Amino acid sequence: MSGQAPETSKPLPRTTPDSTPAGDLPLAVVGQPGVPFVEIETLRAREFIPAAKEALSSLLKEQAQGKLIRPVFNWAGRNSLFPLHWGLACCAIEFAAAFGARWDAERFGVVPRSSPRQCDLLIVNGTVTWKVAHKLIALYEQMPEPKWAIAMGNCATGGGPFRTAYSVVPGVDKLIPVDVYIAGCPPRPENMLDGILRLEQLIKERGE
Amino acid sequence: MDQEQLSAGLSARFPGKILGVDTFPGTNGRVRFDATVASDLFRSLRDDFHFTHLTMVGATDWIDHREVFYVLWSDADRRYLILSTDLPAESPVIASAVPIWPSANAHEREAWDLVGVKFEGHPDLRRIFMPEGYAYHPLLRSFKIHEPEDLEVKVRSD
Ligand code: SF4
Repeated sequence: MSGQAPETSKPLPRTTPDSTPAGDLPLAVVGQPGVPFVEIETLRAREFIPAAKEALSSLLKEQAQGKLIRPVFNWAGRNSLFPLHWGLACCAIEFAAAFGARWDAERFGVVPRSSPRQCDLLIVNGTVTWKVAHKLIALYEQMPEPKWAIAMGNCATGGGPFRTAYSVVPGVDKLIPVDVYIAGCPPRPENMLDGILRLEQLIKERGE
Repeated sequence: MDQEQLSAGLSARFPGKILGVDTFPGTNGRVRFDATVASDLFRSLRDDFHFTHLTMVGATDWIDHREVFYVLWSDADRRYLILSTDLPAESPVIASAVPIWPSANAHEREAWDLVGVKFEGHPDLRRIFMPEGYAYHPLLRSFKIHEPEDLEVKVRSD
């Protein structure tokens, strides 16, 4: 912030572009005389905080009367899912690609974490063998509630090409409850993002 | 040392226990031996015939018997040698090669896990691909593939 931050008591000078209807928040008109960039930032932040305070206190008031906070948590939770960063087989490559620069799954508020205790979404992205089955269950059980699971790819959904193999679990829904299945061998990153958006829809519908 | 010298030397050391030598081009051939002398044969091959490296151990289920085979490499001859022996299907037991070639460790665990050959003297004969407590040796021909629908899943998480 600049040293010449405007005083709090005075209203800040607003420069409204002609096209902006009066009364709206000023757009970030960078370079317009009299409105340096820093001051616009200050202005918006300053207006945001009281508004947020007001919204929150009204929410809390309603919560005292009952049932408002749950939808808020639902909204907040479903828009910021934390999948576990656990790569199992070839599908994990697509999983990694989805979080890379090109597909950028973080646009949707999805950020993979490395510890199940920080996660609420288990994306099973690959072939689950019987050898690793109890690890999968242990990871799922370590995640705090509320939690969801996505079976990504044909292997996790139903065993895929290894369906009748002696060593492969024919579908992870034999081990843990699964909310969304994503078909494909492997599914493209777009499919995975679609699955995540569908899960968000599902969480909204269930109102958990 | 070529194949004739090798098989002559082995037959002299283990009379009656070398059951045959088959030729494979580019190698020192396949030596079929009696499983009772396995330990001594391995030691002799390493110390007297300079087969310092064990490349792999494998096993096959031939229904009436099980075959175990070893692929050895000699740095001195720059040749492979294949050993093979037949074990009875009722009690497929053979001495472990781990005390002689430590590289046999994982291979013998695999042969035990999938074909059910028991290696006596192996320091750590656990299953390697299937979970501990699995009831079958899945590469045996008597193993039936089950339809996933019929599968009854009981998994402990510990
Ligand atoms: S579904 Fe296909 S791509 Fe995905 S883990 Fe299975 S085999 Fe690999």
